Amino acid sequence: MQGIETAIQNAAKKLLAENKVDVVIGFENGSQPLRSTPVFIRKPEDAEKLTWNYTCENNLANYLRKKDQKIGVVVKGCDSRSIVALMKENQIDRDKLYIIGVPCSGMIDRKKVADIVEGKEIVEAECKDDSLVLKGRGFEKTISIADVLHRSCAACSYKNPVIYDEMVAEPVAEQSEDYSDIAEFEAKPVAERRAYLAKELSKCIRCYACRNACPMCYCEQCFVDCSTPEWIGKSASDVQDNLLFQAVRVFHGAGRCTDCGACERACPMGINLRILTRKLVKDAKELFDTEAGVNMEDKPALSTFNADDPQPFLVKE
Amino acid sequence: MIITKKDIPSFLDSLRNNYQVFAPVKQDNYTTFKAINSGSDAVLDYGNSKIPPKGILFPQTEELFRYKVDEKGTHLEETIDKEQKVVFGIRPCDAKSIALLDNVFNNNKYKDPYYLTRRENTVLVGLGCNEPQNTCFCTSVDGGPFDTTNLDILLVDIGDKFVVEVLTDKGKDLIKAANCSDASDSDKEAASKAKADANVTGKVNIDGLKEKLDNNFYDEIWDYISEKCLGCAACTYSCPTCHCFDIVDEAEDCDGCRVRNWDSCMFPLFTLHGSGHNPRPSGKERFRNRVMHKFKYFVDVNNATACVGCGRCIQNCPVNLDIREVLADIQGSEARSVS
Amino acid sequence: MNNPYLPLPMKLVKNFTETEDKLIHTFTLEFLSEEDEKSFAYTPGQFAELCVFGKGEAPFGIASSPTEKGHLKFSVAKVGVVSTALHLMEEGTTVGVRGPLGNSFPIEQLKGKNIVVIGGGFAFTTLRALSTYILHPDNRGDFGDLTVIYGARNPGLLLYKEELAEWESRSDINLVTTIDRAVEGWNGRVGFIPAVTEEVAPSADNAYAIICGPPVMIKFTMPVLEKLGFKPEQTIMSLENRMKCGIGMCGRCNVGSQYVCKDGPVFTRAQLLELPNEY
Repeated sequence: MQGIETAIQNAAKKLLAENKVDVVIGFENGSQPLRSTPVFIRKPEDAEKLTWNYTCENNLANYLRKKDQKIGVVVKGCDSRSIVALMKENQIDRDKLYIIGVPCSGMIDRKKVADIVEGKEIVEAECKDDSLVLKGRGFEKTISIADVLHRSCAACSYKNPVIYDEMVAEPVAEQSEDYSDIAEFEAKPVAERRAYLAKELSKCIRCYACRNACPMCYCEQCFVDCSTPEWIGKSASDVQDNLLFQAVRVFHGAGRCTDCGACERACPMGINLRILTRKLVKDAKELFDTEAGVNMEDKPALSTFNADDPQPFLVKE
Repeated sequence: MIITKKDIPSFLDSLRNNYQVFAPVKQDNYTTFKAINSGSDAVLDYGNSKIPPKGILFPQTEELFRYKVDEKGTHLEETIDKEQKVVFGIRPCDAKSIALLDNVFNNNKYKDPYYLTRRENTVLVGLGCNEPQNTCFCTSVDGGPFDTTNLDILLVDIGDKFVVEVLTDKGKDLIKAANCSDASDSDKEAASKAKADANVTGKVNIDGLKEKLDNNFYDEIWDYISEKCLGCAACTYSCPTCHCFDIVDEAEDCDGCRVRNWDSCMFPLFTLHGSGHNPRPSGKERFRNRVMHKFKYFVDVNNATACVGCGRCIQNCPVNLDIREVLADIQGSEARSVS
Repeated sequence: MNNPYLPLPMKLVKNFTETEDKLIHTFTLEFLSEEDEKSFAYTPGQFAELCVFGKGEAPFGIASSPTEKGHLKFSVAKVGVVSTALHLMEEGTTVGVRGPLGNSFPIEQLKGKNIVVIGGGFAFTTLRALSTYILHPDNRGDFGDLTVIYGARNPGLLLYKEELAEWESRSDINLVTTIDRAVEGWNGRVGFIPAVTEEVAPSADNAYAIICGPPVMIKFTMPVLEKLGFKPEQTIMSLENRMKCGIGMCGRCNVGSQYVCKDGPVFTRAQLLELPNEY
């Protein structure tokens, strides 16, 4: 981790000193234990603020759309796929972007950590190799980082950036994809699935953090804000509307979503959003054998049509 | 007076005969205020709730009135909630925020009957904070972990019991239903010690902040201070003093109701004119307005800072945009005024 | 406690297409009873939230003057859900009105002064209220000279053509109408408001200027008024902003610490110079 951090700082310093970019977007230490926060570095001497650790969970591709400046950005595997997907949609100019790629072994899910310490406040957290030493008032606990990774990281099959101008470390081993978590939920009876989704979406407060954290959500006017016609109600107390909001949002991302988990990480209420997003990632793979943003050549799944595309809704099989 | 923690569930159950009782309950790995069905649901060993209890007086969605217009005429039926309520275990910061919201819903010209009726019918039983969190900064904004502003009763946790400080007549009436005994001297000492030991480590210097904000509206600090902000409403919906709302109709033809919903100044549509003009067209203007509203405009009008230092915005922000850092940056910047 | 969110039912008696492009209609609403009318005592400059049951509410300046009894007039541009519903509305439909809201033109301060009213395009609504009020026989004597400068892009877009024709013929008002570019059949002035104001050159002596219009018109007319000697305290403006509650609680319409709905919409230029330029 330390080596990666230094490499990122050096890369940023060089880019800024040589005027190759106007700004480097990366992470710096957050204001709380187990948090880091996006930072915009404009001067070479500020590059030492850049950090890299198990808390760099935001998808920085979110800050890259339609920018005039030359930007350097620090990306993980999932972020790099978002960048590729956005390039295919003409949202990012490759020539104005310098990608500092970081092979990623996963980011910590603070909700899992909170579960382990039963919601008690963590006053200090220290990373020691593969473990986290958590200190609070009247307790100290050492946990294995592997146990508290985000579920999207545990399931990730693209830990290494697929596009980069430089890589700051050796690639890490990849694992093959495994959608058994979704398959397991799909196998449940309709009533059970409906009840689970209703329970989850009853927590929604319609803050739209999920939508705003997603690099692929960039409509100038989101459908929830449209008044003619009013597609869905504004009230968060209507669980059906909350579910409809998520469902439509997720469908708008079909074939474009990279399962980076930014939506779920942003949600202040801890809603299991990936049950929906990952379902569509699985569908894109199974129906069209595509994965968003894994290379520059593939066309986005829902932007192309092949004669042999499965269409059970249209043609009787 | 003291009440043992063991007696709390039965006290809450007896209150439920006459009041709608709201208390902190566990949901997933966080706490939230809900109307309890049983006294044992209440969890009083918690940091603070995910979302503030302001929703009890100012719900996220609220019907203002129902209407029906037909050949018989226009029929309007206002739906004002007059139920007696108790909010049990509210933290002093959240109780203070209600005092601040009173200025909004009872301003120099108009009164909001929905909020004010609920307010009048609500008793606030506060729980002092023995262990303020690292995101708390109440002492920097005129508050404190045992502040009694706006509370009817303050409970001080001294281990297996609470010392009960009755502050108002409403509180006195309420506590009659409880199985309280007298506080011994050692109880009182324990309470004093708890108060003295409560340490709010988070600090923000707001001396001279308003004066800086009076002069830095056009300063370039606003260009970059909120660069990482996503523009969602996580901070505003978590904030106990935020009060912005939207009004919409939900009806079929002329039969339906007018509803108000929480809204957020961080959304682009918030100030969009019908003509397409938007006085706050980007995140920069909206974030500046949010900070100005809380730390300058509210002070201009009500002589009080519209922030109670609860720290929820810090905890819930997806990108860890920390208001304490924002204020420190503003305080540190040269307030060059360029108009 | 009085409930400021409840609308007063009124009857739409006239849905008049005001402009040639049909985008602005003027609605005349009748009070259902005398008590209703008494409860709605208003002053020029105020606005009301017009409610279309089933669709929603929107704020509009009151274009009628309280001297015009029994009814209210609003001019509405078609931009969204509520305004479209109003435009399509049949006469005889019941609507709701919440108000009067906002502060008003400072009538008491204007008494004894010469009044210069400057309006552009669609923004003339509350200026009609003010001018009609001043011209009423009960009030005319209280005010000095009345100059009204009103311009629109073309003749078809001028509001209140009937009133304008009547005012032309009067001697107690100096009405100057202008259009942006010459058009066949138009014998009046041609020119933008700032230039026409400079030509008319109303005296700032013992005078107040009241100006309403699109931002670009205000931007270029202000320097002209300054040159003519109108101090910021003598220059009055009426602001617009997106509104919902109209009573200073929903937090939306503020310019600095002032809510346009409750502390405005009428502000003097002196007051606005103290506020951030965010409107």
